[in-house]
Amino acid sequence: MAYTTFNRNINDQLKEPMFFGNAVNVSRYDQQKYPIFEKLIEKQLSFFWRPEEIDVSKDRIDFQQLPEHEKHIFISNLKYQTLLDSVQGRSPNVALLPIVSIPELETWIETWAFSETIHSRSYTHIIRNISAEPHKIFDDIMLNERILERAVDVTRYYDDLIDGINLYQRCGEGTHQINGKSEQITLRELKKRLYLCLMSVNVLEAIRFYVSFACSFAFAERELMEGNAKIIRLIARDEALHLTGTQHMLNILASGDDDPEMAEIAKECEEESYAIFMRAAEQEKDWAAYLFKDGSMIGLNKDILCQYVEFITNSRMQAVGLKPRFATTQNPIPWINTWLVSDNVQVAPQESEISSYLVGQIDNEVDTADFGDFDL
Amino acid sequence: MPQVRINGEVVVNFDGSSPNLLQFLEQQQQAVNYQCREGFCGACRCKLLNGQVSYLQEPLAFVRRGEFLPCCSIPKTDIELEIPK
Repeated sequence: MAYTTFNRNINDQLKEPMFFGNAVNVSRYDQQKYPIFEKLIEKQLSFFWRPEEIDVSKDRIDFQQLPEHEKHIFISNLKYQTLLDSVQGRSPNVALLPIVSIPELETWIETWAFSETIHSRSYTHIIRNISAEPHKIFDDIMLNERILERAVDVTRYYDDLIDGINLYQRCGEGTHQINGKSEQITLRELKKRLYLCLMSVNVLEAIRFYVSFACSFAFAERELMEGNAKIIRLIARDEALHLTGTQHMLNILASGDDDPEMAEIAKECEEESYAIFMRAAEQEKDWAAYLFKDGSMIGLNKDILCQYVEFITNSRMQAVGLKPRFATTQNPIPWINTWLVSDNVQVAPQESEISSYLVGQIDNEVDTADFGDFDL
Repeated sequence: MPQVRINGEVVVNFDGSSPNLLQFLEQQQQAVNYQCREGFCGACRCKLLNGQVSYLQEPLAFVRRGEFLPCCSIPKTDIELEIPK
């Protein structure tokens, strides 16, 4: 069925499945099939932050003093995160909005993707500050083979889903001649692509970001690049919430309560779901090897980071009903958790370093030098 | 005072000196995974084998039947819990 931006069918939105039902007409939240998505929206809005609120000027000095191999670690991670958030800032909208059928989930998808665009803008904020030639760093993202390798797996499930939706919404189920090529699509196949896409997004937010996060926090443990760490901390808090969002979607789909066919599909996709997790874990381990190719950093090396990837992969697999596949049961870097604690604990409003107080704030620091040109 | 049995071995009274079960478990030197500590990430998920907990704030993370989040709950009755390995 063709997509319409305002579906004229008078339908009971409470009876629609999350995806592939009627397109949403009225964005109403007085009645909700899954109130959890509105709660996620409210939480995400309460997290709102802007990169400009975080002072990264000291990071410039720190960065200049880093040895070359640590500069490589820092910059490479930022490039990789830029890729991930470029994808995440647009793809949930492009792939999921045309097929979503309940308003609270539709709005969650938009809220989620919007917060990813803030992450993208924050990387520019960080990179502009540490480099006089930010364009060189950004230009390299499209040339760096290590990054492009992962881009393939990060995007292929989105692209498969989007491609299938286009065909289905234009031509319906069946075999169609498109530009001289025969293409086939069924609703069941689309549902399968959706499930795998959500699984791959879950892996992106659950595992792929965390190698970078660990490095950023390892720098900050040494009191280096602390402005960056503050930003990454806010990003990590957002990502933990997004992850909860995709875990809810996956678990609701797999339960079959929403659409009985989806429960069958979830079972059918189990092996591929394992494969998505394991492939991502292997790629992140390769990435750790690339980061540390010229030398480790204090507090982190390739082996520790690989163990962390295994630990976190196990825990994320369990969250979506899969069994852990790695032997690692202990977090090899427990100090990372203190950086991942949600930052809304109120200490004292005058503590401007607490980023939750910085919303809409200006720099209040006053020095005697500020009165230098005062005449009485 | 509710009793808390941890991993089928240790039994400790929840005497109210900890604001939630996660801090309580940490005080007992039990290693529990955690991240947000306010119920939205789900990292601290544990198994609730017996008894009931009450939530200080409703968790946003997905919690399966038989599981609970210690970061935002306290025991309502005597409970028996298992920390995932």
